[in-house]
Amino acid sequence: MKETPAHDQQPADKWEVQLRKGCLELAILAALWGGKLYGLEILRRLESDSELIVSEGTVYPLLSRLKALGLVRSEWVESDAGHPRKYYALTPAGKQRAVEMAGMWARFSSSMSRLLAPLGKGK
Amino acid sequence: MTTASDAQQKIEEYLTRLRGRLSGLNHDDVREIVEELRGHIVDKAAGGGEVTVARVDATLAALGSPEELASEYLTDNLLARAEVSRSPLRILESLFRWASLSVAGFFVLMGSVVGYFLGGAFMWCAVLKVVHPQSAGLWAYRDSTGDLAISLRMGFEGAPAGARDVLGWWVVPIGLLAGCGLVILTTRFAVWCVRQYRRSPVLPNG
Repeated sequence: MKETPAHDQQPADKWEVQLRKGCLELAILAALWGGKLYGLEILRRLESDSELIVSEGTVYPLLSRLKALGLVRSEWVESDAGHPRKYYALTPAGKQRAVEMAGMWARFSSSMSRLLAPLGKGK
Repeated sequence: MTTASDAQQKIEEYLTRLRGRLSGLNHDDVREIVEELRGHIVDKAAGGGEVTVARVDATLAALGSPEELASEYLTDNLLARAEVSRSPLRILESLFRWASLSVAGFFVLMGSVVGYFLGGAFMWCAVLKVVHPQSAGLWAYRDSTGDLAISLRMGFEGAPAGARDVLGWWVVPIGLLAGCGLVILTTRFAVWCVRQYRRSPVLPNG
């Protein structure tokens, strides 16, 4: 699914897009926690497990960046589809980074939930 | 022409445009990016069945234009090169790119331009003092309102009337040291900012 251009979006929509993009690095590292995946599998995992629908044009450059940062490694694997696929897997540094980010996320989410609790009751 | 070959042609046109826009990257990186995206397009457009023009169109639309996609790859590559570079020109090239994406990048660019300009001015002044000893240097004088003014002169025009050469020949070592120091500090500042930016969760779209 393609994101709506930023200039056409309301402030709340823009905020949601930025929020989703901000979570994307952690989401990709988490998707790779179970083992190596190629790009399209990562996208499908994000959509099915997190409803994190992001622009496909954002994910591939981000994977490239995570590789440059040493958080993931890649390898080409021949497939039945007739073309090789580039699989990504977490490096030890990537696993450590994922654990750290998950901890930060849990603390942040917990504190925000407490703060936002009254808003839910006010509906 | 068959539908399958139409679809294949669309894929190749997209990838050719992308390849052309990625010319700033090294050959191996471009080849990997193109082959990875070719696999993605074919896999997604096939969807367990036949690759059709309509499915290819939808897949390419989801990826965004080749120009937008290349911009995402190039931005990070430029910043990555700046992070390991010590060349002011390369750093400024990367900062121009960053400045086009965010306000933070604009301010870092402005700070770096000022830092490099002042560093260069000090060094030039030190060098030109040897060529124009009577007029190059750091001069103190009273301006038309009687206030004390300081002027760094390169020597291409005469010293201000009644001015005092503050540093004399000391401007040579001090200018060189201050100029080099400013250039080094500016480079470290720019590289540190780029490093912080690259460690941020996701680069904004260009």
